[in-house]
Amino acid sequence: MKALIIGFGFIGRDLVKAFYEKKDAIRKIDRDFKVIGVSHSKGYLHNDEGLDLQRLQHIKNLEDYGSSYHAGESSLGLIEKSEADLMVEATPTRIKDGEPGLTFIRKALNSGISVVTSNKGPLVVAFHELTRLAEKNGCELLYEGTVAGAIPIFSLVRECLQGDRVLRISGILNGTTNYILSRMYFDEMSFELALKEAQERGISERDSSYDVDGIDAACKVVILANALMNRNVKFEDVEITGIRGITQEALSLAKKSNFAIKLIGTIDSTLEVAPKLVPINHPLCVHGTLNAVHLETDLAKEITLVGYGAGRETVSAVLNDVLTVLRKKKKAA
Amino acid sequence: MRFDLTLALADRPGQLLKALEPIAKNGGNIISIIHEREKPAEGFVPVSLVVDFPSKWNLRKTIEDLKSLGVAIVKSEEIVELKRLTLIVIGRMGIKRLIESKLENVRITSFEVSAPTTKEACVKLDLEVPTESVDAVMDELKKVSKEENAILISPV
Repeated sequence: MKALIIGFGFIGRDLVKAFYEKKDAIRKIDRDFKVIGVSHSKGYLHNDEGLDLQRLQHIKNLEDYGSSYHAGESSLGLIEKSEADLMVEATPTRIKDGEPGLTFIRKALNSGISVVTSNKGPLVVAFHELTRLAEKNGCELLYEGTVAGAIPIFSLVRECLQGDRVLRISGILNGTTNYILSRMYFDEMSFELALKEAQERGISERDSSYDVDGIDAACKVVILANALMNRNVKFEDVEITGIRGITQEALSLAKKSNFAIKLIGTIDSTLEVAPKLVPINHPLCVHGTLNAVHLETDLAKEITLVGYGAGRETVSAVLNDVLTVLRKKKKAA
Repeated sequence: MRFDLTLALADRPGQLLKALEPIAKNGGNIISIIHEREKPAEGFVPVSLVVDFPSKWNLRKTIEDLKSLGVAIVKSEEIVELKRLTLIVIGRMGIKRLIESKLENVRITSFEVSAPTTKEACVKLDLEVPTESVDAVMDELKKVSKEENAILISPV
């Protein structure tokens, strides 16, 4: 199977490293697996015989690979001209219109190329359009890395809860806000100081509003609702309250009554992202940068998954999606 | 709807059976019954029942029928299942505004105000709310906090 990686940020780079480190496990499923193209916003690498992953894992910029680099060419051109079977889409998220990832995913699916993505934007904007497109063209569209990073929430429901109906989902879906609230709770820091520390440690972006105003968590709520509860909802349907207004006094009052305050995304009759009082013995009461997802279903009743939700751990989800596609295609062949 | 019903039956054979008939006839489902035979007082035996009726009308009809049979009714009250909720409100929303909002059957069991070091006040409230009204109460509280530009932190 021939694969493309669109986007060479930290996920793209870590994925190359994972492909190289796990090459024996990958080859057990597909002996001919190779990465034939990698792109970023300024151009792409393409070699139909397969790129050298050992060399690729040590470079930060694609230009440094040397031969096979096409400067100034677009990712769309790479998708069009390559005869890839699988595309990993890992471009930055843009909530407003899902671009540029949305165009790349549409192009790939229309060309019969299966897609694995860690990019929330396209799924928030066009979830049902893209899943229909994948079905129509007989390809896979997997997106485990888009919600709660390494937590296998979609795989769990798809593989292990096939007969269950998901009734309600709630969870800590943003690691940055959980880190800030944990620092405020345990170390009595102010919101401003905890945020500054998160930024300095690279946990939060310089533009923190995406995290602290609940936008990132709301995107995940939309994807979970559409994917696991068969809803047809948009970003605008989520009622959002961020954590900027949470004061040290509120956390102290909560603590005295054995609660913590967490930014919780909830999907039931309504969609909401808001700070909530979580009893300290509740399974969702996890701290630091951890994420947690609590599922309520008709048969299994309650299941909680806890894990790291962003950063390098996301590669675990992306790699598992890639291996899932390889297995399915092998089975079909 | 669940009701707590206490009857005073004459201490004679067949009285309990006579009292149960109107309950069954009016759609009542008896959940529990305590017949305190060993404690007759002035010739009467107290019988405590917990009964589910489809509506208050069914209870009223049962009471009328029991009275016409000469059965004395000592107590008849609805059993309301209560849920305890803890909330925190950050902002300038006064307790008065909360109490004045349309929160029927809600009891504030305790509240605590933090000594604010920031410009926003902070109040923790413990409420007892009839289970069936929890959603309506939360919707109303959300509305009020929005109007007052306060942050409502509700239970997960």
